[in-house]
Amino acid sequence: MHKKLLAASVFWLVGGTLAAAQEQTLTISVYGFAQDEFSEALYKPFEAECGCKLVVETGNSIERLAKLDANKDAPVIDMAVFSLADALAASRKGLTEKLDTAKLSNHAKLYDFAKDPNGDGMSVGYTFYKTGIAYRTDKMKVESWADLLKDEYVGHVALPNITTNQGGPVLSMIGKALGKDRPDLKDAMAAVGEKRDEFVTFYVKSSQLVQLMQQEEIWAAPMGHFSWAGISKLDLPVGWATTKEGDAGDMNAMVLVKGSKNQDLALKFMDFWLSTPIQTKIAEMLIDSPANKEVVLAPEIAEKLTYGADVANKLTFLPAATTLDYREKWLAEWNTTIAQ
Amino acid sequence: MFQNRAEALALALPAAVFAAIVFLVPVVIVLAEGFRSPAGWTFSAYTDFFSEPLNRLVLLRTFKLGLAVTIVSAVIGYAAAFAIVNLSASGKGRMIGLISLPLMISPVARTYAWIVILGRTGIVNQALQAVGLSDEPIRLLFTETAVFIGLLQLFLPLMILSLISALENMPKDAILAARVLGANWFQVFWKVILPLTREGLVVGGTLVFTGSLTAYITPAILGGSKVLMLETLLFQRVTVANDFVSASVIAFILITMCFAANLLLKRLATARNKR
Repeated sequence: MHKKLLAASVFWLVGGTLAAAQEQTLTISVYGFAQDEFSEALYKPFEAECGCKLVVETGNSIERLAKLDANKDAPVIDMAVFSLADALAASRKGLTEKLDTAKLSNHAKLYDFAKDPNGDGMSVGYTFYKTGIAYRTDKMKVESWADLLKDEYVGHVALPNITTNQGGPVLSMIGKALGKDRPDLKDAMAAVGEKRDEFVTFYVKSSQLVQLMQQEEIWAAPMGHFSWAGISKLDLPVGWATTKEGDAGDMNAMVLVKGSKNQDLALKFMDFWLSTPIQTKIAEMLIDSPANKEVVLAPEIAEKLTYGADVANKLTFLPAATTLDYREKWLAEWNTTIAQ
Repeated sequence: MFQNRAEALALALPAAVFAAIVFLVPVVIVLAEGFRSPAGWTFSAYTDFFSEPLNRLVLLRTFKLGLAVTIVSAVIGYAAAFAIVNLSASGKGRMIGLISLPLMISPVARTYAWIVILGRTGIVNQALQAVGLSDEPIRLLFTETAVFIGLLQLFLPLMILSLISALENMPKDAILAARVLGANWFQVFWKVILPLTREGLVVGGTLVFTGSLTAYITPAILGGSKVLMLETLLFQRVTVANDFVSASVIAFILITMCFAANLLLKRLATARNKR
């Protein structure tokens, strides 16, 4: 009986080791949206190419950061994606590894701003998007971000809450329009705070905007361009404003987790994700705008994304260091002047 | 039912161990964070929290709103439950089904429905204009009133269901006896129904108060972020400030308030009973 048990254990152990040797596993942590599409366009083709197995964890940027921090002595995640500010936070906490860009054959194909977005060599941008103003063309004229504060419009405007990714960039653009572009956003918040009761809402979920626009609750709202598809489908005269200050830009970046055991495989995966065919496919599915400048898209696809050098070069990116260093102060200021 | 206590305890053990591992341990870990500092154990996070006037204001507002929702749902709940228990068996079943139905729908969907109802072009504003109570749409959405309505609709079914079960267990002739002895309807409610259904009120009250205190999506969406509540503050501390210590302090306050509400309701019910 004992011999049989021993034999079974040995068989199980050897079998397990052999299986592990045959199939390397890469654990990635990404945003939870459009996972079916990512699986089809990115994960499955990569698994087929590397002969390895991908384990995909999903969640938001903050959850990922907390998890990386908790497991820093024995990392379980090999590669993760972050907002720029959280990528910088991870780097400052010593949770990420410097990227060997020589191993990323597609690195040179990226827009310059995506090559090393935080300037610390720890991350690489894989998608970017613009944040601008969608508005009712029949009800108002928007030529500047400051127009959102005009008395005749403010009662029909929704702004993003400071807790959303759009909060900081939008207030920064309002500050820029008011000629008071300070990193602490104090002037912009004071201007918004003065009219806090008149703004329709400070939204926490951009999915609300389609409904608010449809119900004519709002005429205008600043939003990430990823929300534009839903708004533009409404049977209403809506447009994407061309303001003299331009649109705000934001980016998501990939990082390599410090101490991960599969760094080479993780770099291969990053390179695969940045390659022209994969970036094209993801863009054509209208999931993420390409950071690879060699991607060529049909006009009807391009207009739904943040695409092209012309668009990219006009965007104002709020430095991640500013977001990170000031977001506590923004929050305190927001709570005293706007949320209360 | 059981031969001895040990047998009963043994049967309860797996559920108790499961609850301890998946619920109690994580809660203790989260709460311990609020008492920890690099120098050791401390209350400094709590003193910091309460020294901030904004935090005290938010705490008071959250408590007041929770209390208001609980009281109003108890008043409406008693009336509804009383009407339902007096229906025929099939009518009662249908009504309970209808009351339970919203509980099966996600709170997010229910909250979005209120955006339609309370909007400028929504049914409430249309009705107000139709009867001439207002000339133009009134702003109902994104106000404290909207949060109150949203929370009330969210948790009222829990109060009604708790009270239905309590009223059903009450001896039917108690009300009749009180009436025969000359009690008016207020006295019947205060001296007969309330003491006999207190358990249901305690359960319903705790569920409604706890739910209102900890709901995030309804105040966040219907309040339009102009009205800070403890739960929105907690969300901010985690998602923007990445400050798990303050978040743990807020979580501790919320849990304490929930326990306190439950104990207080129980105490009130028992006190009334002794009189």
